[in-house]
Amino acid sequence: MKVEYVSPFVEAAVKVMTTLLQVTPERGTLSARPQVFTTQQVNIVCGITGDVEGQVIFGMSIVAADRIASRMLGSPVVTFDQLAASAIAELGNMISGNSMTLLHGQGFTCDITPPTIIKGSNVKISTLDIPALVIPMRLKDIGEFEINVSIKERTRRAA
Amino acid sequence: MAKRILITDDALFMRVTLKKILTEAGYDVVGEATNGAEAVKLYEQLKPDVVTMDITMPEMDGIQALKEIKKIDANARVIMCTAMGQKTMVIDAVQSGAKDFIVKPFQPDRVIEALSKVAA
Repeated sequence: MKVEYVSPFVEAAVKVMTTLLQVTPERGTLSARPQVFTTQQVNIVCGITGDVEGQVIFGMSIVAADRIASRMLGSPVVTFDQLAASAIAELGNMISGNSMTLLHGQGFTCDITPPTIIKGSNVKISTLDIPALVIPMRLKDIGEFEINVSIKERTRRAA
Repeated sequence: MAKRILITDDALFMRVTLKKILTEAGYDVVGEATNGAEAVKLYEQLKPDVVTMDITMPEMDGIQALKEIKKIDANARVIMCTAMGQKTMVIDAVQSGAKDFIVKPFQPDRVIEALSKVAA
């Protein structure tokens, strides 16, 4: 997987979270995983289709998810209900959507699928044979937020 | 009389947020659709003054729903409200008859500004 596909997601995440949560994420060190794999408790999965295709997963702890949803809703989340889950999913949708705009600027036209939330640790998604690049981010007063990008250029079939 | 608005977004969070912004600004949110197909159906039923329309949605996406609504009512006023802002998508939406294009995340002022211009 090319590293150039990752920078739009990082740039979009910083922009979206700064606007939405009033906190600018601190970026950690990039690492690679053989597959999309996440040890986080709350995961937002977004599919990507088009010139590049695959998946991006945003992972975080339940505590971080509660804090993010509380900021987005403007009131503390007591139980992680449907509305809180929807806020977290929408955060993933906004980051993915803004990433698509940036990827388009690099010449790749893509679309995203509506986000899915998966709760539970040690989630392994093995439908894709694309290595994942992982970008950890630290959000002050919220916690860790991890971006797993697993996308590749679409194979062009011979005419 | 308050302008009547139909909100379309698959995310509950977005519907709640938009409804709050619009209600506080004095608009009357008459309906909430969770996908494009529902928006088309509710448009026919409610005949709202303005529709806010997400693009990435299950069942029928926002661009398709915009085209269907325009077939029902050529004067329909639809504002796109989506996380994707690439030029081709904006052009596609505007050519299909969208009156404005708001990229998420947005500030409440941006929504009110678009609404007051389009609903006038």
